[in-house]
Amino acid sequence: MNEHISSAYDRDLESITTLIMRMGGLVEEAILKAAKSLADRDIELAEEVRAGDKAIDALEEQINEEAARTIALRAPVSKDLRSVLTVLRLAASLERIGDYAKNIAKRTSVLVGMSPVNGSDAALRRMAREVEQMLKDTLDAYIRNDAVLAEDVRQRDQEVDQMYNALFREFLTFMMEDPRNITACMHLHFMAKNIERMGDLTTNMAEQVIYLVTGEMPDEARPKDDKTAFVSDAG
Amino acid sequence: MEDFTYVDRAMSTQQDIKISARGVQVYYGDNHAIKDVDVEIDDKTVTAFIGPSGCGKSTFLRCINRMNDTIDAARMEGTILIDGEDIYDPKVDSVQLRAKVGMVFQKPNPFPKSIYDNVAYGPKIHGMARNKADLDEIVEKSLRKAALWNEAKDRLNAPGTGLSGGQQQRLCIARAIATAPEVLLMDEPCSALDPIATAQVEELIDELRQSFSVVIVTHSMQQAARVSQKTAFFHLGNLVEYDDTDKIFTNPQDPRTESYISGRIG
Repeated sequence: MNEHISSAYDRDLESITTLIMRMGGLVEEAILKAAKSLADRDIELAEEVRAGDKAIDALEEQINEEAARTIALRAPVSKDLRSVLTVLRLAASLERIGDYAKNIAKRTSVLVGMSPVNGSDAALRRMAREVEQMLKDTLDAYIRNDAVLAEDVRQRDQEVDQMYNALFREFLTFMMEDPRNITACMHLHFMAKNIERMGDLTTNMAEQVIYLVTGEMPDEARPKDDKTAFVSDAG
Repeated sequence: MEDFTYVDRAMSTQQDIKISARGVQVYYGDNHAIKDVDVEIDDKTVTAFIGPSGCGKSTFLRCINRMNDTIDAARMEGTILIDGEDIYDPKVDSVQLRAKVGMVFQKPNPFPKSIYDNVAYGPKIHGMARNKADLDEIVEKSLRKAALWNEAKDRLNAPGTGLSGGQQQRLCIARAIATAPEVLLMDEPCSALDPIATAQVEELIDELRQSFSVVIVTHSMQQAARVSQKTAFFHLGNLVEYDDTDKIFTNPQDPRTESYISGRIG
């Protein structure tokens, strides 16, 4: 893409992109740290994640302000318009993902007092790593204007859904086996659900990147595999 | 309970084609100003022509009412049909044609006559009024349509040149529509006006769309986006891209259009 005649316009757009990348980096870190704090029963790390959410929220606010300023002063059109719309939506999704990471960290603080539920910490950590990788690729796709990579991310959400389905059934089984597991399993289930939602939000971000690059939202239905809404019993 | 009628501008229904240009070429001496332009312009629609200076947009606009005929060095090839009729057919009287295809220019250019006579001039020479009452009616209707009646009704005999710039431009629009044209051509009609007068003229253009096919040449991208339903981008005499205005401004297909509308180095 050629440069603008007004070089200040280019600088404005670049500075918003930089903010998105910084925010994305913080959110990726929050996901990994939240999952690690659960696996290691590390209260301090969990506390760090909770405190770190403020910086993420502040960046979202800054991005919103910069985007509003650009719209008011530059009246962006075409690709420029799409890039401003895109940063607004990416920032909103990142902020939500940050909230989910924070929620996982909160629940970790409660869970440290309970005995671990058979292998679930590792499973949640794998799921979190998968989502973090999707987010990383989405941000790479954004910065490189790579719709193919974004489409790849979009397809990968299915795997996260399948991991969530498996965990859902596992937790249900543990709870039926021994009611003393219920409190821990409820927390762990919410964590799994949080990560599954992060995957959905990341997929939305990937779709936004496709819109940024091509000018059109992908309309073809993407594969979804969260079937827990239809589960009636453990069988 | 009040009834609301919601009209979605984006959902403009399919319009009939008013103007159809095929293989239009214009030369000014050796200068090839318009290169093989094909375009179909819808009825009851505002179509904006945009492009950098010298891209041929005004030249093409002037082909639609044969204004280029008056320039000796200009030579035109190809056909332009209005309602299926070739306007360059030797049988067509260019004066009659210009009554049907009105034009408003960049600088307001009222005649050095009264407001009334400015508007009454066209209908008079085209014999559109049988008597003074008829003519009064045409003048009032045209001034109302041009949103100037309330400001001008008490001073119809005052000179048109005494009005403000924005009022003069609306007077020129009233004069252009007094002959009941079907097409209204506007060559940068707001470039000499302040933002308020511009907004008034733009509002007027949107209303005129109910009755006419409006074609507007503008250097203001924002104006094209605000007033038109279709946009044509000209560059170096070529029609580069022609599509729905919202498409042109959100997702143009040609990189030249993209560069121009977003203010990039092309």
